[in-house]
Amino acid sequence: MTVVPTVALTGVTKRFRGTAALDDVHLTLGPGITGLLGPNGAGKTTLLRITATVLTPGAGEVVLFGTRPAGPEQLAAVRRRLGYLPQEMGHPRGFTGFGFVDYMAVLKEWTDRAARHAEVRRVLELVDLDGVAARRVSALSGGQRRRLGLAQALLGDPDLLLLDEPTTGVDPGQRVTLRQVLSRAGERSTVLLSTHQTEDVAALCDRVVVLDGGRVRFDGAVADLVATAAGRVWLADAPDPAARASWRTGTGRHRVVGQAAPAGAEPAEPTLEDAYLLLLGERARTTGVAA
Amino acid sequence: MSAVLARPAPSTRGATLRTLAAAEARRYARSPVFLAGVLLLLWATATSLGDLDDAGGDLAVVPAACLGLAGVLVGHSLTRSTSRPGDAVRAAPADGALRTAALALACLVPGAVALAWAVWVALALAAADLPVAIGWGRQAGMLATGVVAAVGGPLVGVLVGRWTRFPGAGLVAAVVLTGWTLACTAGLMMTATRWGTLVHLNAPFATWTSADGPDAPPWLAGGSPWWYVAYQVALCGLAATAAMVHEATGARRTRLWRVLAVLAVVAVGCLALACAADPTRVFL
Ligand SMILES: Nc1ncnc2c1ncn2[C@@H]1O[C@H](COP(=O)(O)OP(=O)(O)OP(=O)(O)O)[C@@H](O)[C@H]1O
Ligand SMILES: [Mg+2]
Repeated sequence: MTVVPTVALTGVTKRFRGTAALDDVHLTLGPGITGLLGPNGAGKTTLLRITATVLTPGAGEVVLFGTRPAGPEQLAAVRRRLGYLPQEMGHPRGFTGFGFVDYMAVLKEWTDRAARHAEVRRVLELVDLDGVAARRVSALSGGQRRRLGLAQALLGDPDLLLLDEPTTGVDPGQRVTLRQVLSRAGERSTVLLSTHQTEDVAALCDRVVVLDGGRVRFDGAVADLVATAAGRVWLADAPDPAARASWRTGTGRHRVVGQAAPAGAEPAEPTLEDAYLLLLGERARTTGVAA
Repeated sequence: MSAVLARPAPSTRGATLRTLAAAEARRYARSPVFLAGVLLLLWATATSLGDLDDAGGDLAVVPAACLGLAGVLVGHSLTRSTSRPGDAVRAAPADGALRTAALALACLVPGAVALAWAVWVALALAAADLPVAIGWGRQAGMLATGVVAAVGGPLVGVLVGRWTRFPGAGLVAAVVLTGWTLACTAGLMMTATRWGTLVHLNAPFATWTSADGPDAPPWLAGGSPWWYVAYQVALCGLAATAAMVHEATGARRTRLWRVLAVLAVVAVGCLALACAADPTRVFL
């Protein structure tokens, strides 16, 4: 028996006024958490929007749960199984936190009031917002609104969870809570997590996809990407202008990521961030990756 | 953390529409602009019922303004507010046409208030023991124009909210509707012909009584109030369907375009029938 992948993208291309946001992307996703990294403008959001069926590709094929969603019925069938947190989510005026997630649950066809309310309470509890659910969305903090967005994506425990920078603006304590939620979701669902936080990818994902200029630059295990940086990261007493990147750490020593060891340097354990910097070279440095 | 609940079995579109329409109706009923309009309607009507005359049906202008015109703003703001979460809403199984249909159904909330208002005024007219030179059928028709306007205004708000992105669009639409309505009162200043009736009645809302001078006796304009009400209902249908077309795709969109064409023909037909009735003015 062949296992049908949750997401299968073949040759997906999307152009906006001549600029290729995605260029011939091939990607197959199954259960587990896949991290999506890439500099600003790499095409991560475009990839997620296409997978979430809110944007149609210019070329290529998108197959979700084994079907190519074309007509309204097929689209609805696919959408019943997906949860999506967009990168930018305008906040509806006049809703409380509970009211907004409840409204989203109605849009997701939870027509039975008692079951819907129980589900809304469950997802709000998951993202630790049950205490402030009665407040107006406009009165919530940025990080709380982000978690509210995540709560609506988690409704109904979807088979495909598409998250565009879910931890932006979220405090470290809550980020750990969210990691627990996502790691649990990844046990049975397919989760695609776009982020600039390499440590979130290192902590959560078994697989990482790096996009750059709309193309897939790396697709493989997180450990394999980290391994590409082995022997290319050092701790030195002085900065190295010739290195890919070097910066002064809290200990006073300089972390150097590059091709050649500076004089007197000692090797350091590479991280995903180091590997990402080495993979993307100058582009990663000029557009920046958040630590 | 509690265990995940069973995911809902795919609901029929009808069940989702009912639930969503109920949610939108609750939002409508809680809107401050709507509530202020209801208070104004109660106050304006209560103060007018003291000196009712045969032109009592023209009190319909009160719900048309307090619920219909104000409703343009309410319909617009409800539509825009749920468009703000953007892609999250678009990725849900309830598609755009269904969401718009739910908003259109919520516009029945001001309609229900206006209907209760019409019953109240009709009872007051009956109790006032007026000569009723123009007949109860016409009076009721005139009151009904206010009820339909109370639904039509919010529907225009939904339409504008779907097709435009600029925040002041609801206000602009309200101004345009007011301008159109006022411009059509020119028909009351023309001679009592069918052309004059057409100028008078193509408005989204029309008042029916006027006078030739400050001391002249008032008269009731010609034309058929009930065909005019049918014309207004067709305009409401046009607004709701045009709003739904915006996010509909494929065969559904084609079907909605057909419905729009049929409704446009029906609207023109009803207006023609409203104007075809005797244009003679009835002095009160
Ligand atoms: N709606 C749009 N109209 C025009 N251009 C767009 C649109 N959406 C994306 N783009 C362009 O497509 C490219 C990819 O954008 P995208 O938002 O997918 O990048 P991203 O990887 O998500 O970036 P970021 O990390 O900043 O969120 C960019 O060059 C962007 O300017
Ligand atoms: Mg993005």
